[in-house]
Amino acid sequence: MSGSPLASSPLAVQRGILGAVLLVVCWEGLARGLHLPSYVLPAVSEILAGVWSKRALLGEAAGYTVLEALVGYGLGCLIGIGLAVAITMLPALRAVILPAATAINSVPVVAYSPLILLWFGIGVASKMVMVAMALSFTVFLSTLAGLDRVDRRAIDLMRSFGAGRLSILWRLRLPTALPLLLAGMRVSTVRSVIVAIITEMLGAYGGLGWVIYQAVLQIDFVQVWSAIFVASAASLSFFGMIGFLERKILFWK
Amino acid sequence: MQAAIQTKDMPIAGSPEATAKPSPLLELRAVTKTYGPVAALSGLEASVAPGEFVTVVGPSGCGKSTLFNIVAGLEEPDAGGILRFEGNSCHAADLLGRVSFMPQRDLLLPWRNVVDNAILALEVEGMPRAQARAKALKMLPEFGLTGFEKQYPHQLSGGMRQRVALMRTFLFERGLMLLDEPFGALDALTRAMMQRWLLDVWQKYRRTILFITHDVDEAIFLGDRVLVMTARPGSVKLEQVVDLPRPRRPEIVTAPEFVRLKRTLLDAIEEESMKSFQSAVAQEKAT
Ligand SMILES: Nc1ncnc2c1ncn2[C@@H]1O[C@H](COP(=O)(O)OP(=O)(O)OP(=O)(O)O)[C@@H](O)[C@H]1O
Ligand SMILES: [Mg+2]
Repeated sequence: MSGSPLASSPLAVQRGILGAVLLVVCWEGLARGLHLPSYVLPAVSEILAGVWSKRALLGEAAGYTVLEALVGYGLGCLIGIGLAVAITMLPALRAVILPAATAINSVPVVAYSPLILLWFGIGVASKMVMVAMALSFTVFLSTLAGLDRVDRRAIDLMRSFGAGRLSILWRLRLPTALPLLLAGMRVSTVRSVIVAIITEMLGAYGGLGWVIYQAVLQIDFVQVWSAIFVASAASLSFFGMIGFLERKILFWK
Repeated sequence: MQAAIQTKDMPIAGSPEATAKPSPLLELRAVTKTYGPVAALSGLEASVAPGEFVTVVGPSGCGKSTLFNIVAGLEEPDAGGILRFEGNSCHAADLLGRVSFMPQRDLLLPWRNVVDNAILALEVEGMPRAQARAKALKMLPEFGLTGFEKQYPHQLSGGMRQRVALMRTFLFERGLMLLDEPFGALDALTRAMMQRWLLDVWQKYRRTILFITHDVDEAIFLGDRVLVMTARPGSVKLEQVVDLPRPRRPEIVTAPEFVRLKRTLLDAIEEESMKSFQSAVAQEKAT
């Protein structure tokens, strides 16, 4: 498969790095050349210096956020994959689960945050639940699409060998679903960090979202940007990691 | 010549009727199959003796694959027909897991390498992987796949993929093998090689084979008997015994007996192809 989203040629990597460098240079030049005040746009060098000087605070906050995002991510993926498998194995469930899941998801997850904070408290648990809620539907839908994509004739072949539903699920359906399942999981990485941060802004004891919120109250915009930089570094590396795993696992693509 | 056949699924020969005359392994009586308004098969009669190599030819869309789906246990025929396997009347579903079926496409799993594709059926049966792999590795040379055991399907040529699919079918040791146009997608040269190779393997393992093809030469060259099917709804129009000696050499296709058989079969097929062509044209006009 040429031109698949998984293929990252050296040229594409080069272009990506070049783009990032250009962006940083323009940003730096703009902020310094126009003498923009830091509440409008601090220079990149200023932000990086901010990250360094507040490394202890930001490190601890990032620890919180990453923990919430990762646990929520794991939970969300388990729920999404589990529901999709359940529906496939017991088609009668489809008529119940699909509308319910769609209804819950027709409202942005943030709308549920007051309830979730009320139920699970201001600590990390509420963030994990929010992240899990936000992801599970995406992973559920992509897994279901993958499981449904299986070739009827391949199922017939397995049946002719005397295979039962479980055997067909394990040897045929799940591997067939993997490409879409993993694509859903890759897209969800960035969302998990975003949802964790947003929920922290609504009430938390720590985390990057909480740091951003506090910094805004103290009118410290360099710190806002420092936290944003750390957050995007975290989500990019998470995205890269899952993308890497995806390429390893889907070697036949 | 059929006395020595014994596969693990067949009852041990020795019951009174089995000693008298080998009862057919598979028997179809008045088998009919309709899909909504489409009648795919109608009153099909056929039987296959143990150890026999029976080829099936017929116009496209006449219900050959439908016949296989029934015998593989994947589809139930309409009520009224009779299906007998190993002497017992049965439902199609009872045949699931008892017939080794090779569908029209190879359907290799892209995430499994050659050996692991070949052992798929053994794994489903519950044989430990190591044991199944060892068994497959021993078979590789015969299937011309030595050195390719670790390759993945996308790395193989069409002929090799077909051989892997055949190996998967052979490893699923059952009394009856169904091969649906296994060489249909191959070029003429590879196809001729594969035909000779299949005869060798068949003679060595003595399986019963039912083989669909579009190619009359192939049907005669391989078969003990050729079944010509009618245009849809399919039934058996002609049953032609091929009494050419075995082993058959490639030159046999120019022998007078071969040419005579070919003439008979082609006439029958042409008649049916005309019918299905005309009905297709008529349908075109009607819509
Ligand atoms: N599952 C199905 N549902 C509806 N119609 C079907 C189904 N399977 C087969 N048919 C119809 O039955 C007829 C016979 O199909 P079949 O695949 O058995 O033909 P065939 O002889 O194998 O054709 P070919 O030589 O092209 O492989 C066709 O008209 C086809 O459209
Ligand atoms: Mg067919």
